[in-house]
Amino acid sequence: MTLLTDATHNKIRELMARYPQPRSALGPALEAVQQQLGYVSEAAMVEVARLFDLDAAEVRAFVGFYHMLRQEPPGAYHLEVCTNVPCLLRGAGQCADQLKQKLGIDYHETTPDGLFTLGEMECLGSCGTGPMVAVTKKQANWMRYYEQLEAPEHIDAMLDELRQLADVPAAQLPAPERVAPGAADRSTGPYHHGHHPETNNMLARIDQPESHTIASYEADGGYALARETLQGKTPADVLETVKAAGLRGRGGAGFPAGMKWSFLPAGVYPRYLVVNADESEPGTFKDRLIIEYDPHQLIEGIILASYATEASHAFIYIRGEYFFGAQRLEQAVAEARAKGYVGKDIFGSKKDLEITVHRGAGAYICGEETALLSSLEGYRGHPRLKPPFPAVEGLYSKPTIVNNVETIAQVVHIVRHGAAWYRQWGTERSPGFALYALSGQVKKPGVYELPYNTTLRQLIFDYGGGVIDDRPIKSIIPGGLSMPHLAADKLDVSMDFESIVAAGSSLGSCGIMVICEGANMVELALRTISFYREESCGKCTPCREGTGWLKKILERIERGEGQLGDLDTIERLTWPIERQSFCPFGPASVWGVRSLLKLFRVDFETYIQQTNPSGQAPVLPVRPIYRPDTGEPAPQVRV
Amino acid sequence: MPDLITITIDDVEYKVPNGMLLTDAAKLINIDIPVFCSHPKLDPLGACRMCLVEQDVRGRWMIVTACTIRVAEGMKFRYASPAATQAREDTLEFLLINHPLDCPICDKGGECPLQDQTLKHGPGVSQFQEIKNHKAKRYPISDLIMLDQERCIICWRCIRYLEEWEDKPQLGLFHRGDRSVIDFFPGQPVDAKTSGNIIELCPVGALTNRVSRFRYRPWDTKNIDSICVHCSQGCNVRLDGRIHQLRRVVARENMAVNDEWICDKGRFIHAFADAPERLTTPLIRDHKGGELREAGWEEALALVAQRLAFTADVQGPAAVGALGSAKLSNEAAYLLQKLMRGLVGSNNVDHRGGAAVLADPRGLSAIRDVEQADLIVLAGVDPAEEQPVLATFIRRAVRRRGAKLLILHPRQIEDTRYPGAYLPYKPGQEAALFEGLSRGLLQEARVKERAARLAGFADLVDGLGNAAVDAAGAEAVRLMLSAQRPMILYGPALVSGRAAAANRASLMNFALLAGCVERTFYLAPEANSVGARDMGLLPASLPGHAAIGDAPGRERLERLWGVKLPTQPGLGYDEMLEAAAAGRLRALYLVGSDPASQGPAGQAALQKVDFLVVQELFLTESAKLADVVLPAVSWAETDGTFTNLERRVQRAAQAIANPHSQAAPDWLIFTEMAKLWPAVAGEAKAEGKKSKRKSSGAARQWGYGSAAEVLDEITRAAPMYDKLSWDALGDEGTQWPLADAAGSPLSAVASRRLTPPERRSVAPGRDEYPYALVAGQVLFDYGTLMRQTEVTERVAAPVAVSINPADAAREKLAAGQPVSISSAVGQVVLPVRLDETVQPGTLWIPYSLPGAPAETLLGSVSAGSGARVRIAPGALSSSEKVG
Repeated sequence: MTLLTDATHNKIRELMARYPQPRSALGPALEAVQQQLGYVSEAAMVEVARLFDLDAAEVRAFVGFYHMLRQEPPGAYHLEVCTNVPCLLRGAGQCADQLKQKLGIDYHETTPDGLFTLGEMECLGSCGTGPMVAVTKKQANWMRYYEQLEAPEHIDAMLDELRQLADVPAAQLPAPERVAPGAADRSTGPYHHGHHPETNNMLARIDQPESHTIASYEADGGYALARETLQGKTPADVLETVKAAGLRGRGGAGFPAGMKWSFLPAGVYPRYLVVNADESEPGTFKDRLIIEYDPHQLIEGIILASYATEASHAFIYIRGEYFFGAQRLEQAVAEARAKGYVGKDIFGSKKDLEITVHRGAGAYICGEETALLSSLEGYRGHPRLKPPFPAVEGLYSKPTIVNNVETIAQVVHIVRHGAAWYRQWGTERSPGFALYALSGQVKKPGVYELPYNTTLRQLIFDYGGGVIDDRPIKSIIPGGLSMPHLAADKLDVSMDFESIVAAGSSLGSCGIMVICEGANMVELALRTISFYREESCGKCTPCREGTGWLKKILERIERGEGQLGDLDTIERLTWPIERQSFCPFGPASVWGVRSLLKLFRVDFETYIQQTNPSGQAPVLPVRPIYRPDTGEPAPQVRV
Repeated sequence: MPDLITITIDDVEYKVPNGMLLTDAAKLINIDIPVFCSHPKLDPLGACRMCLVEQDVRGRWMIVTACTIRVAEGMKFRYASPAATQAREDTLEFLLINHPLDCPICDKGGECPLQDQTLKHGPGVSQFQEIKNHKAKRYPISDLIMLDQERCIICWRCIRYLEEWEDKPQLGLFHRGDRSVIDFFPGQPVDAKTSGNIIELCPVGALTNRVSRFRYRPWDTKNIDSICVHCSQGCNVRLDGRIHQLRRVVARENMAVNDEWICDKGRFIHAFADAPERLTTPLIRDHKGGELREAGWEEALALVAQRLAFTADVQGPAAVGALGSAKLSNEAAYLLQKLMRGLVGSNNVDHRGGAAVLADPRGLSAIRDVEQADLIVLAGVDPAEEQPVLATFIRRAVRRRGAKLLILHPRQIEDTRYPGAYLPYKPGQEAALFEGLSRGLLQEARVKERAARLAGFADLVDGLGNAAVDAAGAEAVRLMLSAQRPMILYGPALVSGRAAAANRASLMNFALLAGCVERTFYLAPEANSVGARDMGLLPASLPGHAAIGDAPGRERLERLWGVKLPTQPGLGYDEMLEAAAAGRLRALYLVGSDPASQGPAGQAALQKVDFLVVQELFLTESAKLADVVLPAVSWAETDGTFTNLERRVQRAAQAIANPHSQAAPDWLIFTEMAKLWPAVAGEAKAEGKKSKRKSSGAARQWGYGSAAEVLDEITRAAPMYDKLSWDALGDEGTQWPLADAAGSPLSAVASRRLTPPERRSVAPGRDEYPYALVAGQVLFDYGTLMRQTEVTERVAAPVAVSINPADAAREKLAAGQPVSISSAVGQVVLPVRLDETVQPGTLWIPYSLPGAPAETLLGSVSAGSGARVRIAPGALSSSEKVG
């Protein structure tokens, strides 16, 4: 007798066969378990452990790490509201309040009819279309984003639709394409997007109907480049072109992609290409457009990059919340495989290329490349020591290149047009163009494909239509939530890596968030640190303990028990967290808060003086336990 | 010579070995960089961020972790700089914010790296004024270990130990961020056999010893270096005593023997040393059928000496026998056989697992040689249960060096999970199994060519015939042939019992054909199995392995002892019990031996002897039958040496003494008894009946004032112990040379002769007794020492008979149901346990369960590890009772 059905068992076995090492399929297998049971019960963990020949503790440790794996059964629909900063700036608070009110439940509760469970979620990559709710249907392979929930009637429309769909079989549920319920007049296609007149490359096709299909892609000349390249050029030719173009990685660090590729040790095979589609940096939603609406562009890029790096197996690690995107990718890979573009001897080049789409399960840290590799191997997403760098010892200890989706997409255009063409835009050290994801309090949030030397002002006003209600700008985050804020006086800074650094921040993942005057900086700081405290993997001391401590201080300030001295403590703590953490998550977790304190300290001081005028110190409950208690164990406390 | 390079720390240049981790290199130059997650025995992790230093990275000083950096030429570091010092302070401040600081009652207090480093590197004051995170306290992760999640600083040492050394990832980090906790899977607590090592690895008081909790303060105990005597590995331990009690056992590093690990039996099972049930005074039974009464030493010893001497005198020395134990120290074993041979004049001296086992005196070449092997053949041994620390070394060889395991065992033991091959067999099929493998080897031309030069080749080929080799056998042969450094390890089960000689011959044939005979080693089972043999606690061999019939060897000892020695081999363990039962053996001296606990046969034998002396820690089943009971002390209460399975002679020094007890060390009991020996018996043998002096000439040789003095004589009695002394053994012991045993007839390298296989008749009675009983050692059983602690109830093997689920289904048996099992010699009733690792057609019962079911079914104690049995549901009915 097994808890899991034969279908689930078969599915898990099929998943295990997709990977060079079966343990990689642990996350997808647990997702399959969840599709059957609605959650991952302890009995299911034991059964999965047996299938993978693991200790049950390993499975439970894994499940406990990933937020999308639930250990308690949810209602028929799990509604998760994004409350991260970009959505917060667009009214996620009201959206969540209305949901609570309409459903009559709080977070982590289920309606009496068992229909809805409410939760809050970290950034889901809908920053341009917030506020939003991600809806997962229990025991169905179905997840859907409901976006632009700007008014109560939008929420009603969503809930009505879900109630109607409650008894519809999974197969007949509507496609999880992006929807803005109940508002015919609002955007229903892809995001707002735009481009500089000359740099319309990566997003050029996404408005076409059926842009995601191979028929559409090939009609536009797709895959011809891959065919020509694999038949007519050497891997070194491609590598040299990418190097000459100066393509910088789009994941956040901006490391030159060509240089990374050249770090591969000669003669060591197999090599892997891992495409980082774990787009989780709050304020970043650019990759999602390519994935959902032009996946073949990404696949062609993978073919070219794999050719250049001599990788025989490429993995696309896509964040689990991008359910729709993952479906599109799976479909696109299947189409490409049917055409012989993926598989054995592609384009008659004698080269083999496997592509495996791997869904994450909800952990921001898995965007960090070594944590991503841990996760892809079927472990908790803890970052690993460097060196060895992934290019030398990466996935399964083999040479591995990890590149962001956009980086790979850029390769297509660079190889097609050449390095000189690419270098006509941008700056000497940040050549070319990039996808800028604009969010926050602007009129037209969206993704804009612009040369690297475009200024913040141009992006916000020329493309983004300016600020909501034309309010004055208070602060700008220029590279995703991890990056330091810039004050409004930096509007004319060019959005290239060097200029943004010179201005006191970093370009990161090109997620630009705009915050207007009137924003509560204490709330903003608390919400920022809450995200990092939630997502800290727990491996190293400063990040694990420090983010928790910072959150406690900011919570105390917010509830009116702050003291002016707390601000010095916050600032002081940010330094060791930045300098002493294991991986780049540490600095990322504190730059935002520290820059807020630096730029807007008066706001914090004012808040503290207004909420705790007497400057009273917090009252701490003292709970010393110093009885050597050998008796029966205390009731087990599950944290 | 290591390759030295120059690094700079705080502007001073140092020469250190290239590639060493900075933390280790710094230690060499007396810079003690504080660490928590880093540990020399675990892979670098870099998680705790305690060991921060500054490094010059292309002109910029960066904060880095010393525990993950391998030093290279020209590297520059700062350890004492303000930035590095501040960084370490900050890490400690973070570590302490959620730590409960309940140091006053914490077991780790006083030996806690977190305390020590807070003193040395801490910030002095915390800015933390929030509520601490609360997690589970007093949270048992096993029957032996308690976890306090609040004290935990998440250094991952416990997780890594279980993963890297045990390959049992039973603990994990659950949840994430500052809610991260160490935890196990509900209902699957930690059961790794060496789990207790994580208590010592824990740098805080998060993991504590449930046996010792709150029973010691580290600064209050008197700590004595010793070794563990639970198995043959001889792991080095430290005994922490307080007010005459053994409060705690911890591991002591000895890289050659146990690295720095000990198993859970060694760590947690020591209550026997302090047990209130211990014998504290001699006991005498004045007449058969009477009660034991307390007596003084003088009276008891005189009585024993007189009765043994008298029996030898009147009935002949062959009517007296002694059974020692492989748990006795070298000194005790040596003096027992000396007493029997020199004073009684009898070679009737043996121990359980002694003469009945064809044990190679070479033992294992060296424990850590297993880590160099690329194929380890485990033949009839299960190190995971028998030598758990050795088992971790074998796992390292598998996981770190890609070694394969070829496992031949009646039960699908745990290590069959590793790459290699598993060949099951039933007791009685051992020789046939090796013969099959030999046939397989001979199919290879190069094996045949090489073997053709060996004596006995033609007869062997003839005898083996040409039956086909099955697929598993072929795979085993393939593994053997492709290995560069194979090693064969076999245990007592394979070379004892009725088929011992045939089994051994077939194993040696196989080893010779495989070209592996030099690397074929015997894994001795008990703490002093090797030493007991070296000391001559055997009926046919003298100290130093000289055969009784070997005149020069015997004469050497006669000169040393000043007596004439008997020239005929004595009786072995079973033979003595049989002789006792038949009335031929009239006096029996048991030292640490308890035949009565091994089933009805042993009890019956003991009841027949005229005079039974039992020298013991407890009133065992045998002691209850004794005429005189002499209270001995445990290994913790006296000095002694033990020789482990790799011939390493090690010291176990006295750690505690119970002032309320009159119990005495074995060596002292023998010495005092010898002094009281009446002249008539001893002198009669040696010098002919001359006079009746108070003390004999032989007894005058018994003037030992300490165990060390006994060892001194041992070095003259046993050539391989030459030049050893108590002081010279030091903390890590000394191995006697492998070559010294090469001449023994039982040495694998003694004869390079192939032996033709024995013709075996088909085992009869298959229908009457359709199952093969398999008995074997488990780490936690109900042996005398185990029985003294309530821990046993929690950890010991289930008292049950294990059966393959398919057999259970066929027999219509449900788990837990009582069944009666009968063999030709006995019958027992046990509940059924279903176990897939038990192969179909066999039943598995561990040795030393309450009521000795395995021993009862096997009959004589050295019958080997198998018997034919049948199984029937229901309890024992009176009509079926046997014996």
